[in-house]
Amino acid sequence: MRAALAVVSVVLLAGSGAVVYKNFQSDWQSTQKSYFKQALVQVKTPAERAALEARQPRIEQTIVTAFGTQRVDRCESCHIAADDPKFAAGKEPLRAHPYSSAMGDVFKNGRWERRHKFTDFGCTACHDGQGRGLDTEDAHGVASEWPEPLLGYVVQADWDKNASKHLRDKDFIEANCVQCHTDKNFTGAAWVNRGRDLYFSKGCFGCHKIEGLSSGSLGAELTAEGTLRKVDFLWAHTVNPRDFTPTSIMPQFKLSNDELKALTIFLKSLRGKTNAEAPTDRYKMDVSTTPPVPLSVAEVDAQFKAASTPAARGEQLLHGYACISCHKLSDQDGGISPDLSYEGLIRDHDWLMAHFRDPKSRIPDSNMPAFGLPDADFNDMSAFLLTRTTQPPAMTPAETFKTLCARCHGENGDGKGTSAIYLDPAPRNLTNAEFLISKPESRFLTSIRQGVGGTSMPPWGKVLNDDQIKGVFDYIATNFAHQQRHEIKPRKVPDTNPVAFSPASAARGQAIFLQRCIGCHGRKADGKGPNSVDISPRPRNLRNSAFINSVGDRRLMESILYGIEGTPMPSWIDYGLSQDEVGDIVNFIRSLNTGTATKAQASASNTGGTNGSINN
Amino acid sequence: MSTTTEKKPSVVKSVVDLPKNVVRSIFRNPLPSSDRGRAATSFTNLFLHIQPVRVSKRALKPSYTMGLGLISLFLFGILTVTGILLMFYYVPSTEMAYNRMLDLRSSVAFGVILRNMHRWAAHAMVAVVFLHMCRVFFTGAYKQPREFNWLVGVVLFLLTLFSSFTGYLLPWDQLAFWAITVGTSIAGYAPFIGKALKFILLGDVTVGQEALLRFYVLHVVVLPLVLTLFVAVHFWRIRKDGGLAKPEEEKKQTAQVVTGAEAATTAVPVTTTVVTTASPARRFAIQGLVRGPFVKVGKLEEDTVYSWPSLLIAELFVLVLTIVGILVVSFYFNAPLEHPVNVMHPPNPAKAPWYFLGLQEQVSYSAFWGGVGVPAIELLLLVLLPYFDRSKKGIGRWFARERFLANSVFLTFVVINIILIVIGTFFRGANWEFVNPF
Amino acid sequence: MEAGSKTAECEANKMPRRDFLAWLSGAGVVGSALAGLVATFFFMKPRVTFGQPNRFLIGKPDDFPAGSRLAIDTKRICIVRDGERMAAISTTCTHLGCIVAPSATGFLCPCHGSQYDVDGNVTGGPAPKALAWYSVSLTPSGELEVDKDNEVQMGTYLNV
Repeated sequence: MRAALAVVSVVLLAGSGAVVYKNFQSDWQSTQKSYFKQALVQVKTPAERAALEARQPRIEQTIVTAFGTQRVDRCESCHIAADDPKFAAGKEPLRAHPYSSAMGDVFKNGRWERRHKFTDFGCTACHDGQGRGLDTEDAHGVASEWPEPLLGYVVQADWDKNASKHLRDKDFIEANCVQCHTDKNFTGAAWVNRGRDLYFSKGCFGCHKIEGLSSGSLGAELTAEGTLRKVDFLWAHTVNPRDFTPTSIMPQFKLSNDELKALTIFLKSLRGKTNAEAPTDRYKMDVSTTPPVPLSVAEVDAQFKAASTPAARGEQLLHGYACISCHKLSDQDGGISPDLSYEGLIRDHDWLMAHFRDPKSRIPDSNMPAFGLPDADFNDMSAFLLTRTTQPPAMTPAETFKTLCARCHGENGDGKGTSAIYLDPAPRNLTNAEFLISKPESRFLTSIRQGVGGTSMPPWGKVLNDDQIKGVFDYIATNFAHQQRHEIKPRKVPDTNPVAFSPASAARGQAIFLQRCIGCHGRKADGKGPNSVDISPRPRNLRNSAFINSVGDRRLMESILYGIEGTPMPSWIDYGLSQDEVGDIVNFIRSLNTGTATKAQASASNTGGTNGSINN
Repeated sequence: MSTTTEKKPSVVKSVVDLPKNVVRSIFRNPLPSSDRGRAATSFTNLFLHIQPVRVSKRALKPSYTMGLGLISLFLFGILTVTGILLMFYYVPSTEMAYNRMLDLRSSVAFGVILRNMHRWAAHAMVAVVFLHMCRVFFTGAYKQPREFNWLVGVVLFLLTLFSSFTGYLLPWDQLAFWAITVGTSIAGYAPFIGKALKFILLGDVTVGQEALLRFYVLHVVVLPLVLTLFVAVHFWRIRKDGGLAKPEEEKKQTAQVVTGAEAATTAVPVTTTVVTTASPARRFAIQGLVRGPFVKVGKLEEDTVYSWPSLLIAELFVLVLTIVGILVVSFYFNAPLEHPVNVMHPPNPAKAPWYFLGLQEQVSYSAFWGGVGVPAIELLLLVLLPYFDRSKKGIGRWFARERFLANSVFLTFVVINIILIVIGTFFRGANWEFVNPF
Repeated sequence: MEAGSKTAECEANKMPRRDFLAWLSGAGVVGSALAGLVATFFFMKPRVTFGQPNRFLIGKPDDFPAGSRLAIDTKRICIVRDGERMAAISTTCTHLGCIVAPSATGFLCPCHGSQYDVDGNVTGGPAPKALAWYSVSLTPSGELEVDKDNEVQMGTYLNV
């Protein structure tokens, strides 16, 4: 025991010694010593030499309170030569921070004078990083915990590899420049400005909200995105949103690397609150030296008035509001939303106006935002769209399908066209032969000719003549369905609901619905039951009034009683539902969709109300 | 004054003897060279008199206790010292706390090592206290007359857990914030008082400034104070319950019991403490008052040795070993410090401290039963255990055959809890889904 | 206890070894304790402070015209430029810590009437000693740095 005690005691002494030794061997201490040594070589006067020799390593610290929160920057403990011109060509960390006239540094009397003095600004205000840290790992924010790694220099280990390689670039620091230089056209932050332009030209503003810039409500609010996210997320999420949120409806924009960089820098610059709101005026660039760039409202107005007709104005608006970043119009294609090229043949003024004011009033599950623009603008845009009445040239059925249908239904008819994922209900999978042969041909022809209510399937009746429609359908039947159509046995289904509509009947229907149907159609009958995600095609939204009101009782009854072939909807007659019970269910479904008109009005007036408050 | 003049000649001597006299005044006995001296050393020193004058050789065998109780005490000592030092730099404010952590890591000399020591010692203490409890169970050392001390031990275990838990919040990083959010939510499942308890603990509906302040006060004042008190009771009871538990047979061989009448007479010379003579046959010592009306006066037990120096060296060894262990771990492994608190972005999964992960795992099956029901039942069993297990068989031996059933049941509980903790720690990923850590 | 004498013999033999082990243990424990004390000393001694720094930049030499005596009350110093020489003199009265004001004759304390000459020597009033002079140096970037931790002898100037 005595020997063991002696051994551990000696170990303890050694351990304590190691701890003490380690404490006085930090990076910053040795860095400073090497700085003194190198500086000693260049001294001229004995006094300077004596002063240098007397210096001991110490923590150099700048406390900056001017930028909102207190910043404690100890960067100069290692970067001790940051302000020493003799180390202009030195190696990091013993290197002078470069001087740049673009940054406002002035060369005077043979000496550079900084615009942004380190004593006033510190380091992290521009560079990010962790000012209190004293070793590289901590201070530069290399470890993945740190929310603000050195902007444009440090890439954290868990970042997306594809994004990381673009993120080492000192241009990213511009995101911090604009925290003080808030004027919109600040030339020092060209990337931020370009990003802001892209934010509008790519139509991001339609869905996202940034306080003071846009008020979209469909996507996430981006007002303080820069404080919540690091650059890797901003980059990679913009490249493919569904990598992060599988359910995201954000389109995958095709952006060049430069555009991504500009957007990333712009988004990183969004902090919810800039330093300009803190009392930092003394640090602000003299704004009067940069010429005030007017938004040239007058110019825009003049140009606008020159466009004489509403339709011409509408065209300008359509481009101005970046509709084409989602929609297709002639040869321009955003690749996300429906083709507007034949809008004049497909829709009328009332439909367009109602849809503009609230897209959900016509297509309840549409993901198009209600933009809340003045009615006059909608009017003009509607007028323009109604001029799109040129029919497509005569084409073979195959060409017709490719031109008009493939965008949604896919080139192979599998319902996976480029814009399919943005549509709800999803486009029909036309290779689903079981479904296609179970319904009479007339129903499909009608769907093409008149469209399907409440969905993005438009009425093609005025675009295509009956022969062309028949041709397209035959093309689909032979090329995708691959199954011979056969005689469809008539089923025993009453033409009208055998149960008269009454609240009692609807209540009974609801009881059955809650028992049998909510697994797929959901408790709210909106087609989003717990099983719905695993089902293809997705369960019908039974609150889609435009659709439900466009189909007759017979079809609803038949679908419930006998199921729908090629879909997971089972035949409920097999599960013991009687015709009367199904009648009750139909009454229940109808009862969900009676308030369409009032609802549409209500939402329209809502939109108006919001407009009013915004204008106020 | 007059006396001073009279004693004038001795001033020189006083000066010469000053060091010796000071030492004598502090250590009342010289370094002992005789058995009597050894006994007196233990008896007259405040810090040593908590120990018996003589101690059984069994108790000194490392394989019996493994020093776990002592290690717990020393860890508590390390925690107290490092904790007090850390308090000099810590500010319990949501705005400052994290920055102070960063400062400890950078600008404060020895800040890193002190924080590491505090953190690792805290984790170690939870583990060691638990192991100590297991040791006591498996050696049957909780049986009468030590029931109450077992109870105190259970309380100490809970206090240790709670001390560690309250300290967890103080760095105010993501780890702390969400672990406490999860931990206090588990407390919220308690019936009737759960919601109120959580509210009182947090001082607010969510973890925030109030919670930080409350946890700080609990962590640095309230709990250590209560813990110290219970530790004192725990130690005192060890002595008064007759030292470490020893097997019945061994006791019979050595101990003689005198009747109350004799006790009354022999109890008087307690002030004279220990009487030892050169003759081994006549040596005896007062072992101390035990429960009941008897004073145990026996022949000197043959298998005992003097505490000074045997026990002392063993204790010192454990102390140094404990410090070395914590120091080495702290030298090589840094205490975690995550992302500063971001209330909007919980990490996925948000985990409680490791010692509560068994609970969290149970909670993922059933909120009430996992979080409150089962732990409460387990705790109740622990508390009632010594009052229902009245058999005196198998005391003082590891895994005594007579206690096969009891040991098996307890071992099962221990293993289940450890497995749950391991699952919760390593096998649970995002959304608390099962992941393979390998 | 027949073995008693034998044990005693054995113990006698063991004594040097025991002494050595005791010495080793003692050295280890006491040495570690000392190391702990040293560590505690450095731990308690702050390496950075968050209040008014004692070392700070005050601008370029050109900011101070020759012959000027500019008191910076927030930093409690007076920057003196005498031709091409510069110095920093404390403006904290050595009597009871009031801020002295520069005057034509030197410095005057408004609290108890202490008077100093231009170099800070006491010329009147209760002040016990002269005003302190602090080291002024030129940083590589050409700015003046005053270090109040570093007192220099009266009359020590920096040539600029």
